[in-house]
Amino acid sequence: MTATTTPQERAAERSGDERPGGEPAILTSGLRMRYGSRDVLDGLDLRVERSELFALLGPNGAGKSTTIEILEGYRRRSAGEVTVLGQDPARDDPAWRARIGIVLQSSRDHGRWRVGELLGHLARYYPDPYEPAELLARVGLTDQADRTAATLSGGQRRRLDVALGLVGRPDLLFLDEPTAGFDPEARRDFHALLRELRDERATTILLTTHDLTEAQQLADRIGILQAGRLTACGTLAELAEAARAESEVRWSEPDGTPRSLRTADPSQTVWDLHQRLGGPIPDLEVRRPSLEDTYLGMVAATPLTDPAEAA
Amino acid sequence: MNPVKPVNPYVLGLRRGAVELRQLLRSRKDFYSYLTTPLVFLAVSYWRSGSDGPSGTDGSGDALTQLSLAGGIASTVFMFGLMTVPQFLSGDREDGTLLRLRGVPGAMPAYLVAKALFVLVTMGASILLLLAGGALLLHADLPATPGQWLTLALTLLLGTAAVVPMGAAIGALLPPAREALALYMMPMLGLMFISGAFAPLRNLPTALQAVSSVFPLRWIAQGVRSALLPDSAKALEVSGSWQHPQITGVLLCWALAGFLLAPGLLRRMARKESGSVLSERERKRLAKSAY
Repeated sequence: MTATTTPQERAAERSGDERPGGEPAILTSGLRMRYGSRDVLDGLDLRVERSELFALLGPNGAGKSTTIEILEGYRRRSAGEVTVLGQDPARDDPAWRARIGIVLQSSRDHGRWRVGELLGHLARYYPDPYEPAELLARVGLTDQADRTAATLSGGQRRRLDVALGLVGRPDLLFLDEPTAGFDPEARRDFHALLRELRDERATTILLTTHDLTEAQQLADRIGILQAGRLTACGTLAELAEAARAESEVRWSEPDGTPRSLRTADPSQTVWDLHQRLGGPIPDLEVRRPSLEDTYLGMVAATPLTDPAEAA
Repeated sequence: MNPVKPVNPYVLGLRRGAVELRQLLRSRKDFYSYLTTPLVFLAVSYWRSGSDGPSGTDGSGDALTQLSLAGGIASTVFMFGLMTVPQFLSGDREDGTLLRLRGVPGAMPAYLVAKALFVLVTMGASILLLLAGGALLLHADLPATPGQWLTLALTLLLGTAAVVPMGAAIGALLPPAREALALYMMPMLGLMFISGAFAPLRNLPTALQAVSSVFPLRWIAQGVRSALLPDSAKALEVSGSWQHPQITGVLLCWALAGFLLAPGLLRRMARKESGSVLSERERKRLAKSAY
């Protein structure tokens, strides 16, 4: 909104922003939240591009919920700049609100309402909503349309929450622990839905999760929040590099003995093995560091890097 | 981009209120719980009527029946405004309904319109049930003159304005926990006993009379009595008159205070709702229910 660009913006431009739209969906700089004498957020700098699927990870108490609530316009910050879809969320203006979708952690609201009734009613508040019946079909609740919300199972209720978050066709969707309690099939369907939203509707998605596999499968970029700061942010490969996480190379010796080695440079290891064994390496397997390895490495080694370096 | 349809929260609020009324008719449990209060008041009016039964053979209503019915009608207004409304706000905060609506553009004003519609319709239906049930089952008298009908209508209107906005303000202030709501309900029920709705005010100590005169129920009940009883019955009132100017004055003060307090308190309440506040509350609730 201001004419001057912040250092973060200029840095982001230099680093090559391949996504369209120019202006990021979410931009915070020096975001601070203080409760009493405690800084829950201690100068958070976060940038999420348009139509990006961004996962925010971090141990409990790191400030994930506070961050997401400030971005949603639910909580006033103590200091710092925040822009969400080009506007300060603290203004909470209805036209801006109509472009935001929110799926909260757990809910049991509107228990007396029938599923179809509730979705149809809330759709009316938005200028360009989804067709409620279509959306119900998309989240697999068509058969439950005439049931009251209170009678849904946990997984069905979660899918209703997702539908309610999506009904206004948001440009930006906040998801707090979206798949907690999903069975594997529901989770796979849900992931497909999120990818579809990103790829076909250019929806920006910010999700928090404890499920590292989920973040790894789904997110374009991952940010790790620790003690109120973003200690690492980037693609999985970038994070692994920042954490200096090692790959694991497994193979079998000619006599059949299984071996394994951890290394930061797996291709060098494989090349050396190839030379040593004089040909194809039996049972060769190279496992890149998973997000879990990286994350646990990072969280264990707090504080790992200065956020400015990690970004 | 589609052209942006203007969303009118008042129209959506009426629609929301209509859906909630339909839900009341659909749910047998809710429906009967709303029916209970007027039926209890009718039963009380029946039991408290004169020893030869409620119906005078001359067709005129028994005075005790009339007094109890008037008390029931006034208490209905009072209970809807100062008990049901806070209960709605507390419940809708506790279960996350208000947080959900906070994330939807224009949904908060629509919510208030819907609740107002719901309360007015259910309260109106309860009062009609009392009047009709009283007349048909207990042979009670309806207001006798157009003037008495007008008095009834004005008293109910002023009484509603005095208690509903104030109920919203109180609901916004109450901590959203069942215990807080229960604690608040007790003095409200107490007020029903010291406000002359069922037992004559002049039988009470002056101190209690003074307390009840600060609150709206005493005045609503007196206004309804002036509409349902013959004019001669005013001799039974504390002051020996219906005190219409005082009724109007006290109820207008409550209405004004409610209309001044409620909007700010409701906004403050809405602003405080967030996901973490709700999940913390939920955690405490589950921890408590585990005992």
